[in-house]
Amino acid sequence: MSLAWVVMQKDLRLAWRNRTAWLSAGAFATISVLIYSFAFDLATRDVRPLLPGVLWTTFLFAGVFAAGQSFQHEADEGTFDAVLLSPASPTAIFFGKAASNLIALLVIECSQLVLATILFNTALISAELLAIVFVGTVGYVSLTTLLSIMGSRVRSRAVLLPVLSMPLLIPLLIGAVRATGASLGIEAGTAPWMLLLAVFALWSTLISALLFPIAVER
Amino acid sequence: MSALAVRLLNLRWTVLPPATGIAMMAMIVGALVAAPREIIEGEVQRLMYIHVPSAIATYGAFFITFVASIMVLWKRDMRWDALARGSAQVGVLFTALVLLSGAIWGRPIWGVYWTWDARLTTTLILFLIYSAYLLARAISDSTDEQAARYAAVIGIVGFLDVPLIQMSVRWWRTLHPQPIIFTTKPALPGEMLIVLLIGFVAVFLLAAWLISLSTEAERLHQRLAGVRAGVDRHEGA
Amino acid sequence: MTASTLAVETHGLTRKYAGLEVVRNVDLRIPTGARVALVGANGAGKTTLLAMLATLVSPTSGRATIAGHDLGKHPPALRRAIGVLGHQPMVYEDLSSLENLQFFARLYEIPDAEVRVEELLRAVGLWLRRREPAAVLSRGYHQRLALARALLHRPAVLLADEPETGLDPEGVALLDDLALTVPSLTVIAATHRVDRVEAWATGLVRLDRGRVVEDTASVPVAAEARP
Repeated sequence: MSLAWVVMQKDLRLAWRNRTAWLSAGAFATISVLIYSFAFDLATRDVRPLLPGVLWTTFLFAGVFAAGQSFQHEADEGTFDAVLLSPASPTAIFFGKAASNLIALLVIECSQLVLATILFNTALISAELLAIVFVGTVGYVSLTTLLSIMGSRVRSRAVLLPVLSMPLLIPLLIGAVRATGASLGIEAGTAPWMLLLAVFALWSTLISALLFPIAVER
Repeated sequence: MSALAVRLLNLRWTVLPPATGIAMMAMIVGALVAAPREIIEGEVQRLMYIHVPSAIATYGAFFITFVASIMVLWKRDMRWDALARGSAQVGVLFTALVLLSGAIWGRPIWGVYWTWDARLTTTLILFLIYSAYLLARAISDSTDEQAARYAAVIGIVGFLDVPLIQMSVRWWRTLHPQPIIFTTKPALPGEMLIVLLIGFVAVFLLAAWLISLSTEAERLHQRLAGVRAGVDRHEGA
Repeated sequence: MTASTLAVETHGLTRKYAGLEVVRNVDLRIPTGARVALVGANGAGKTTLLAMLATLVSPTSGRATIAGHDLGKHPPALRRAIGVLGHQPMVYEDLSSLENLQFFARLYEIPDAEVRVEELLRAVGLWLRRREPAAVLSRGYHQRLALARALLHRPAVLLADEPETGLDPEGVALLDDLALTVPSLTVIAATHRVDRVEAWATGLVRLDRGRVVEDTASVPVAAEARP
């Protein structure tokens, strides 16, 4: 697993060097929060019932967008083959990549929480909400990482990634929106949303980590 | 595969078409003529005889895609890709049929074509997942192994996602009042039950035959591409 | 003959794409220290054969051992035994030469990483430019960096696909010195530069439509028979 750490460090360094890909994902998220504000006229009414949906659709679309971008270089430069050639186990490589994507996405998501706190005058920085964002992001990042790596070997990958990953992520979206709603004091029913989120995160991490080594072999 | 198994499998071309035809005929007669008119819902309830078996057949087809997808990754044999793809095509066709017959049934009974009922919503999500699967597969040509493996990942993850989808959608719906649809289920009278059983047989046979056909079509596509590549190499040399 | 004296051994190695045998029934017995030129027309299967030996593509049938390790099982020891020089440099454009080599050194868990990285950077003439991102390097220097990356972990077998591509005469000389004519290194290199084969190769394998049609590199089975 120390090799996962090596891969993650390298990917974070690359993410920083190649900031434009991640900045464009961040910009995309910002724009979408603003677009929602105009579309639903969020400035003039109680935004709390809409806010969980606004935040999570933003997170998911930005996340899928970023996953497609982040792997593009690695695929084009052929460096992924060089990494696969090394003695590092594919599982370690996968966790390294997923972890670096997770960190970059959490940075983007936290910046959106700050933006939304200011724009909508609603306190969004709480330990509970950060925990929800963290577990939810873990839940989708492993699947989008897996799909973006697999998809890099197929044509028209950019269009496909959202179409493929969004339906798979619907349980996560439902759980995350409800859990976020509950933390903002909105009626969210009695279902254990946090449990659903945690189960999904565990499920998606496990299945992605299991499938990745088999799927990347040619 | 043993010679016996091959021979048994080849029987599908001679057995399935007439068997499907007879069973479909029996189902149509049974559903439209033999089965009694349902007292509350009326004639439209006769859709049940195709709607319910189709819904179950959908899961069957997606299960085959799931197993075949595992085999694609494991055995790296493109014949499994043909089965996975052929079966997903039939599964998507049947989900469409379920959604459509559900809408026609729902309109007079619930007053709406669509309701965000847990089962309907789950079916819709499955339709989306496997349409995406077919799209991912269709974008590359039939012999592209990387595309087959990519699609296989979706075929596996999609099927394993079903319990999570069902759970989340059910919890999601409990928040809002909704028409009671499937909760009260009086035991079906004997004649209805028999017709429903015939419906199951007919729809399953139809699904099996369609899967055989679409899988064979995929195989032929693959072989054609192989022959083309061979010709190219021959001419190039 | 023990496995240790054969660097690469294949039995009926075959790879099909779309039902077409791109590589068919390749039997090779390459002794340690041999330098093999892999030649043949475009599409003869050279790249696929190399990719199979590199564990990047799995064979449809047949088996192979490299430096005594079974190809089908992909043990880390096998991965450590091979170095790959592809037709792409396979280096990170946004990392410097130094960072590239440091990353791969950590991935291969090379004990004397710092010394080894410096040694190779000096050898390929990139030491003074080690902090420049790979993106600004010329095609020839990319190839030199790729050479350093491929040799970093001291592989026993070097698999190279058109290694001369993009190199100036000076670079080609470097390639010969560092890789193609190193006595202890077994080399299998696909090449179009038939004119240069004499200069470095000890044997030649010619592929035609996936099949071996000429093989002066393998040692015959009979020769190794022991009393």
